[in-house]
Amino acid sequence: MGVAQRSRRWLVPVTTVAVVAGVGALGPVVADASPKLPTITAQDLLAKVQTAKVDGLSGTVRSNADLGLPSIPGMAPGSRELTDLLGGQHTARVAFASPDKAKVSLIDNQAEQLWTTDGKSAWAYDSSKREATKLTLPAHKTTKPEKALPESYDPQAVAKQFLDAIDPTTAVQVSGTEKVAGRDAYKLRLVPKTDKTTVGSVTLAIDSKTWVPLDVTVMPRTGNDPAVELGFTSVSFDVPSASSFTFTPPKGVKVTDQKVPATRERPHSVPPKLVKPAKPGAAQADEPTIIGQGWDSVAMIRGADTAGLASNPAAGPLAQLLAKAPTVQGSWGKGKVLTTKMVNALITDDGRVFVGLVTPDTLQAAAAKAPR
Amino acid sequence: MAVDAVDLEVPAGSVYGFLGPNGSGKTTTIRMLLGLIAPTSGEVELLGEPMPKAHLRVLPRVGALVEGPAFYPFWTGQANLLRFDAADRTADPKTRKARAGEALERVGLSNAAGKKVRAYSLGMRQRLAIAVALMQRRELLVLDEPTNGLDPQGTREVRHLIRDLASDGTTVFTSTHLLAEVEQVCTHAAIMNRGKLLRQSTVADLRAELRPRLVVRTPDLGAAADTLQGLGVTELKTTEETVEGDPGELPIEKFAAALVAADVRIHGFGLERPSLEDTFVALTGEGFDVAE
Amino acid sequence: MSPSEATAEVTEVTEVRPSAGRHAVALFISELRLVFGRARTQVGLGVLAAVPLLIGIAIKLSGNDGGTEGFIGQVAGNGLFLIVASLGLSLPFFLPTAVTVISGESLAGEASLGTLRNLLTAPAGRSRLLAAKMVALTVFCLVATMTIWVSGLIVGFILFPVGDVLLLSGSTVSLGEGLLRALVIAVVISLSLLGLAAIGLFVSSLTSTPLAAMAATFGTFIVLGIMTAIPQLHAIHPWLLMYRWQSFADVLRDPPYWHDIGRNLLLQAGYVAVFYTAAWARITSRDIT
Repeated sequence: MGVAQRSRRWLVPVTTVAVVAGVGALGPVVADASPKLPTITAQDLLAKVQTAKVDGLSGTVRSNADLGLPSIPGMAPGSRELTDLLGGQHTARVAFASPDKAKVSLIDNQAEQLWTTDGKSAWAYDSSKREATKLTLPAHKTTKPEKALPESYDPQAVAKQFLDAIDPTTAVQVSGTEKVAGRDAYKLRLVPKTDKTTVGSVTLAIDSKTWVPLDVTVMPRTGNDPAVELGFTSVSFDVPSASSFTFTPPKGVKVTDQKVPATRERPHSVPPKLVKPAKPGAAQADEPTIIGQGWDSVAMIRGADTAGLASNPAAGPLAQLLAKAPTVQGSWGKGKVLTTKMVNALITDDGRVFVGLVTPDTLQAAAAKAPR
Repeated sequence: MAVDAVDLEVPAGSVYGFLGPNGSGKTTTIRMLLGLIAPTSGEVELLGEPMPKAHLRVLPRVGALVEGPAFYPFWTGQANLLRFDAADRTADPKTRKARAGEALERVGLSNAAGKKVRAYSLGMRQRLAIAVALMQRRELLVLDEPTNGLDPQGTREVRHLIRDLASDGTTVFTSTHLLAEVEQVCTHAAIMNRGKLLRQSTVADLRAELRPRLVVRTPDLGAAADTLQGLGVTELKTTEETVEGDPGELPIEKFAAALVAADVRIHGFGLERPSLEDTFVALTGEGFDVAE
Repeated sequence: MSPSEATAEVTEVTEVRPSAGRHAVALFISELRLVFGRARTQVGLGVLAAVPLLIGIAIKLSGNDGGTEGFIGQVAGNGLFLIVASLGLSLPFFLPTAVTVISGESLAGEASLGTLRNLLTAPAGRSRLLAAKMVALTVFCLVATMTIWVSGLIVGFILFPVGDVLLLSGSTVSLGEGLLRALVIAVVISLSLLGLAAIGLFVSSLTSTPLAAMAATFGTFIVLGIMTAIPQLHAIHPWLLMYRWQSFADVLRDPPYWHDIGRNLLLQAGYVAVFYTAAWARITSRDIT
């Protein structure tokens, strides 16, 4: 065997690299090839979604958010968890059983956060702190809308109503099929007709057998990567056993009891820390006012101490961020614009905050229209 | 080019000396024969089989010591033997220990079998390396400079061992840069220089290629030279003490008588058989110990 | 050096020994003896065995009753977590170091001693020798993690109370199942080390200086670690060797979450395939001097 023949052996590892890279990069694409399904109209598909009724399911959900949020250095640990949830990749195992049992466990790195309810009580458990919080739910008769509806309930009519309602603002179409969590699904695509919004499109993947949405993808107006993707990576429509929703606080776990006021709905699925105010200025803010409608609606919040924040960069990372933001002015006054990939905000010097999935210009237009 | 078109014919049962100065390409040839390195072009055959293609078939029939002894210093001599034997899938694990014992005895290392190789002298390592080759019955032993770096005692022992092995019918192929070794041990020899095979033959034939020389030691250099010339001696050479030359076909006693008759004082007189070194010089036109 | 052609022939064949591939396993066993018989390996395993001991004593002395987050905080309450915590703490540095030393040594060590010549003329067969080396490395990875498992078990049971095991999902399993899950973690971690072992084997096939091979392998490990820590490189993160190393903890969920572990093992398999074949191409074409 000559030297030339020997050097040909290097073709083997080179081929291996190509195969490994190919399988790694293209594997998911091949697996997600569009399945063949009978064609369906958007109205029929929506009607089917209306009839969708599952008694229970369990599965793994993955969320991937790239909202283009600015990273704020030195942000307090509490609020960091919020941005963690808003950005990046998350995996959660979810289970649901009709009518009122649900469980979500967020898979963290070597830790887990769990929220579960069996209808009578709800538990939140944080494995890293080994702390459990028990919420005793008020005993009330659950009024299930499904049960309240008469037999004459017509999904087609509802679907038509919905389509009629959104038609002026949104183009709705069935844009093909895809595989989600190993199941064949239709893709329902909603495209805003206005260019005032930052939303490019919203695509729902709807299971072709149970008509349950399996995946939501939000595309920004600019760019090729989804801003938000939330969907099942695996799903089973077997009803999970009732015992899987109960939580028994294990030995060595600190348990906190909380009573829930009867007026609050569905407290179980809200992680306690999300309720905490994330922005220092937002604490004394009013309930928001909505200006406009459809895709270009803007929320206005009054009473934020923005002027104080902006003038004092030492006040915190948010203030630093504000100090760096560009200043704009118009008939409505003067303020700072914070821009991200999807969400934009206008903070006026007189303490109003306009937020929306809209372009900065739309924010200014809304500010001009808004009551002072 | 390190080695070019070397074709070595090693008769079964012979002790074959592969002779050449340092750097002449001996070790390169041996490495190629054993499949350790690849030729840039061309083919290698060993025992009639292509190498390295057939190495799994051929090499179990060959015991080899290449480039000095190499062992795991943190293991005993015996453990080293067992490992190299285990590498050969044709070797029977049941008899492995027994064969290691025999091989160690053969090379005289029975007493050192349980000692770590770290504590071995160079001579002991050299013998252990030969023991590796002796773990199995081999058709051919390839020994690369088996006496390199040994003291006179060790050298004698190894040469004795080689003769022993040959008398048992094993063909031994040994490379060396020592002419004396070939003269003492080998039946056949090949001469290698600058990557080329100059000659291969029996040792006797190699020697016989040069005619014996008549050497006369005498203080009367001039007279001796004249007398010998008169008798038809050719290639006369005069040194400080001797006159020497090719005696031609005349019987040697005629020269003695003629010198005495010419009143040449004779301190020494005789025919000198040429050495392999002479042969080598005659073949290459340069001294043997010249390293490249 | 450019040798061209050589032949040697013994004109008469004296005797032919029956040659058959019947005893192919012997080399693999011998390889294990070589790896585990060395003082260096035994010292390394001793250091790994000391990890649970040191962690256990430190926790015992500090009187920490579980305020710390993570597995380490659970050790004082349940000695079984000493196994998991020790495995987790050994994964970023101690275990890779041990694997680097053993894999870097594997072929370069034989080349530097010259024993590679003896093995190849035995003949071991180059591909088979490489396979024996990889098998020995795999066994070493397993033995290394099992050393921590056993040491953690002994120290944990002596120093701390033991009992039912609290999983990450907040549910509890029996001690027996907890031990079994810790065993699965040890196996998962040892398999996680195979990619690095294959890199070390390849680097080792390039040189005749074991120290250089170890340094290069460890350097590669460090660089991959740094790349994993740079957020701007997130696009290539899933391809990096250690990206999912921490997923072993998913064994302690209820039920165990296999997705990331599976991805990790696939990634390791990819690294092994690439670097093992590269080592094969190198060792089968290398001139052994």
